[in-house]
Amino acid sequence: MSALPEVGTEAPVQTRTPSALDLFMFSASAWLLHRIHYDTPFTTEHDGHPGLLIHGPLQGVYLAQTAESWLGDQARLGSISYRHLAPAYLGDTLECGGSVTRADDEGVEVELWARKPDGTVTTTGKARFERR
Amino acid sequence: MGVITDEARSWANREYPRFEMIVTATDIAKFAHATGENNPIHFDREAAIAAGYADVVAPTLFPYVIRMHASALVAPDQLETDGSPSSDVPPLPTRRAMAGETSVEFGERIVAGDVIAVEKRLAQMYEKEGRSGPLVFVEMDFTFTNQRGELVALENFTRIYR
Repeated sequence: MSALPEVGTEAPVQTRTPSALDLFMFSASAWLLHRIHYDTPFTTEHDGHPGLLIHGPLQGVYLAQTAESWLGDQARLGSISYRHLAPAYLGDTLECGGSVTRADDEGVEVELWARKPDGTVTTTGKARFERR
Repeated sequence: MGVITDEARSWANREYPRFEMIVTATDIAKFAHATGENNPIHFDREAAIAAGYADVVAPTLFPYVIRMHASALVAPDQLETDGSPSSDVPPLPTRRAMAGETSVEFGERIVAGDVIAVEKRLAQMYEKEGRSGPLVFVEMDFTFTNQRGELVALENFTRIYR
């Protein structure tokens, strides 16, 4: 079994550019009916956004995937938290990454982020992994 | 000046009806495809069993799917103009919602065939002055358990109304 990474080690970055189809599939799979994720006229004319919004929870899944594909073989995801700082719209690319902030006998803690190529952070998170 | 009325405030600690979802392999595959998963443990029973699971296993954040069904699986006339369920939140001067912070602790994994119950409670409500006016924070607690009574997940979710 390989060792868990040390404090400061960075995750391989995962780049995601969800399409309109991806946004619709996420809404449909969760029965998430909020129009701002699939109804462009409502989103732009009624709510004043420049386009469809990439779901916050989908970005949360991207952060979990970034962390689990990095550490999941050696450790189990025990908890995750995330919050949204800026909107992400259809067409935006999200670079999802993370780094180890704490390492001990039980496991590691990591910080996670999703950001646009211009540096705007849309979602930040933290996760705790328990050694298997 | 508060925008949370006494009527809205009376929603604090409200417990919502318990909701149960029979999680199928189809539900798991839909969510897995929607999030770009390609690990066969989410699609293929044999692969999941070989990895030590009883059946096709759900991605870790799948409890989200269950709590959304608990809130939004209502008749269309019980939805707001924006598609969100109208009976879910206290009466507030604004219904324009955005996701705030989410925090999830994980217990047992969810596999196809599980019956997952979610209990939902409005934990607290508070307001802050934002740049463009008052913001109301509505914080919900969710407890997910499986058919054996084992804890699957605990989630705390804050929705922000502006």
